[in-house]
Amino acid sequence: MSDIKPFLYESHSSRVYLDHNATTPLAKSVAEKVPDWLSQWGNPSSIHMDGRGPKQLVREARLKLSKMLNAHPLELIFTSGGSESNNTVIKGVFEHMKSVGRDEYLVGALEHPSVIKTYERLKTWGAKVITIPVNSSGTVDLETYEKHLSEKTALVSFMYANNETGSIFPIAEMCEMAHSQGALFHCDAVQALGKVSVDLKALNVDFASFSGHKFYALKGIGILFAKKGTPQVSLIDGGAQERRRRAGTENSLAIASLGAMADFAEQVTERSDKVRQLRDNLEEQICDKLSGVSVLCKESPRLSNTSNILLEGCDGESLLMNLDMNGFSVSTGAACSSGSMDPSPVLLALGLSREQAQSSLRLGLGWGTTQQDINNFVETLIPIVHRLRELKQKSG
Amino acid sequence: MMQKSERKKRVLVAMSGGVDSSVAASLLVEQGYDVVGITMQVWDYTQNECKLEEGHGTCCSSIDVDDARSVADLLGIPFYVMNCEAKFKTHVIDDFVNGYLEGRTPIPCVNCNTFLKFDHLFDKMKELGCDYLATGHYAQIQKSPKTGNLSIVTSEDDWKDQTYFLFTLKPELLNHIMFPVGDWTKPELREYAEKKGLVVARKKDSTGICFIGKSGYAGFVEEHIDKKDIIKGSLKLYPTGDVLGEHNGIHHFTYGQRKGLGVSYSEPLYVVKIDSKTGDVWLGPEQHLYSNTMKVSKINWLDEVSKDEPLRVKIRYAHAGSEAKLVSHDPSNLAVELEFKEPQRAITPGQAAVFYRGGQLLGGGWIE
Repeated sequence: MSDIKPFLYESHSSRVYLDHNATTPLAKSVAEKVPDWLSQWGNPSSIHMDGRGPKQLVREARLKLSKMLNAHPLELIFTSGGSESNNTVIKGVFEHMKSVGRDEYLVGALEHPSVIKTYERLKTWGAKVITIPVNSSGTVDLETYEKHLSEKTALVSFMYANNETGSIFPIAEMCEMAHSQGALFHCDAVQALGKVSVDLKALNVDFASFSGHKFYALKGIGILFAKKGTPQVSLIDGGAQERRRRAGTENSLAIASLGAMADFAEQVTERSDKVRQLRDNLEEQICDKLSGVSVLCKESPRLSNTSNILLEGCDGESLLMNLDMNGFSVSTGAACSSGSMDPSPVLLALGLSREQAQSSLRLGLGWGTTQQDINNFVETLIPIVHRLRELKQKSG
Repeated sequence: MMQKSERKKRVLVAMSGGVDSSVAASLLVEQGYDVVGITMQVWDYTQNECKLEEGHGTCCSSIDVDDARSVADLLGIPFYVMNCEAKFKTHVIDDFVNGYLEGRTPIPCVNCNTFLKFDHLFDKMKELGCDYLATGHYAQIQKSPKTGNLSIVTSEDDWKDQTYFLFTLKPELLNHIMFPVGDWTKPELREYAEKKGLVVARKKDSTGICFIGKSGYAGFVEEHIDKKDIIKGSLKLYPTGDVLGEHNGIHHFTYGQRKGLGVSYSEPLYVVKIDSKTGDVWLGPEQHLYSNTMKVSKINWLDEVSKDEPLRVKIRYAHAGSEAKLVSHDPSNLAVELEFKEPQRAITPGQAAVFYRGGQLLGGGWIE
């Protein structure tokens, strides 16, 4: 394996980025190929020569990615990202499932807004939506899940891993349970790429969503995996691209960037282990040096890069602002569109109190993170926590 | 200006997305401070239509948050948005609605200053390691050459002066507060914003209450209470008590109001008293609106005042101020009675009575 640091595209900033679950920086090898891809500006659907280069970029990316994910190339549909993939599945199966008498949908309590809100929409279309709870240690109650599965179940949506706590869910098992009732299974696997090796055959899910910018590629590109033979209607009608499952001229530049990341497929486990060591060291240092600290979902299977830490008596919002001003990018929960900070719905759904949720610090390490970054971070964090706690005590 | 050797002083500046606070931030950057911008998101504008209205909702729409952010980006300073919706609801909205139900005419801006800007934001200032909190208020802080004490004085721009809304400030906070535009006039300030290329340079001034949209005060109150809590009653002639008609709720009325009373009478009638207990709204000829005494409670003093000292007292924001003296004054008691030299028109419960010595803000309280 090559040295970690040159993996990333060099940026002008001297900041330490610890928010890889929000987005990742661009891989150096990807960035360096961008000018070449840009020169292939033709429309992949064109018959003339100018369309052939870009068409080849798309074809090649699809092939590489299908190998990486263990799927058939034609089972991959390029979308604009995770949100579009999720919308396409949920809205796309509705009519068909209704026609076969299935109108109940099971959805995990911690899903991304692009899943939760899409189900809100489906309710207005007449769907019955049931939420499957996840307990505070980050595990699904499979008995409750099984109880809700029936011959009325159309689709189950459950994420591979949670973006805020990192906890990983037993997708293969849950998928098998859904199939035994004849229901379809959709997995939002946006947080999985680059952190675990994803084998779609082994998981046996019917649909899966992926996003390029969580995996060191460009923004504006995602994948929807739709298993051969699954019913699904296009969300965007128009041209015949993606075998009529997603109209619109292909974003060949971004597709190529995601395809190039498939070259790293073999390195995922090794890099991920390295990140895990850093993450564990980070948690150890913080727990050693501070009292009143707890790590969320520590005992459950967890993504190697994610750490969600509750710092008693500290306001996460102030913590984030202080760290930001000191050159560290972290998160306190899912970033909200308005940029303001509300207690994270995910943490509340896990059963945390408002106050606990507001004391959370979410760290997402990446392939470019170093031990030096971790040490600097801890060194900066400790005095800030002490100061905030002191102020809080004074104000009562 | 800072000296090179010392650490740059850090200032947290409250940015609303309006031109005043944008210029305040810009001036502080120019003066060499380490500036951090912050916007309080106070009201969920998706709840009502206010964001779509021209000239309304200027402190609560997401467009304003974006404007504040773009100014901060232009200035190259850190910028954050704080969600203060819950605090704003408790301290500002609820109090506003209850005020109307109790027959008062509230001014929510004072509570926003008391409980959000100079309390919540003041805490944030300390949490972010800042030395000062700055706002875009038209007010000035001056040091007395005699005592060395700090006091708030009216702004350079008489017309824009906002000290009326600042009477609840605690004197001990003043050495951490800055009003960078207090010695500017509005036209100068707009010219500066234009020159600096601030996107908000030509933005309309906010007028009235930021969260009140198209449906007006009464409509807003009705949207936020149970129908059964509306206090209906009679319109009565003052002082005889003759019933002139019925009304749809005391929240439709304010002292001195002449329009929209829904009665016809041989001479012009005005609201002279609102009784929330009986629901009666008393209407009378203009002379009954005048009074030369008033009771003021929950007073905050910023400086000491002697009993016989003639004070300049403002009884509403758009009031020039009239001379009055304290009739009773017990420094331990935060309620006083005042007597005006000249009778005042429509002394309105719920509004603030704010006391001045010349341009110096001495304190104030709530009219009973």
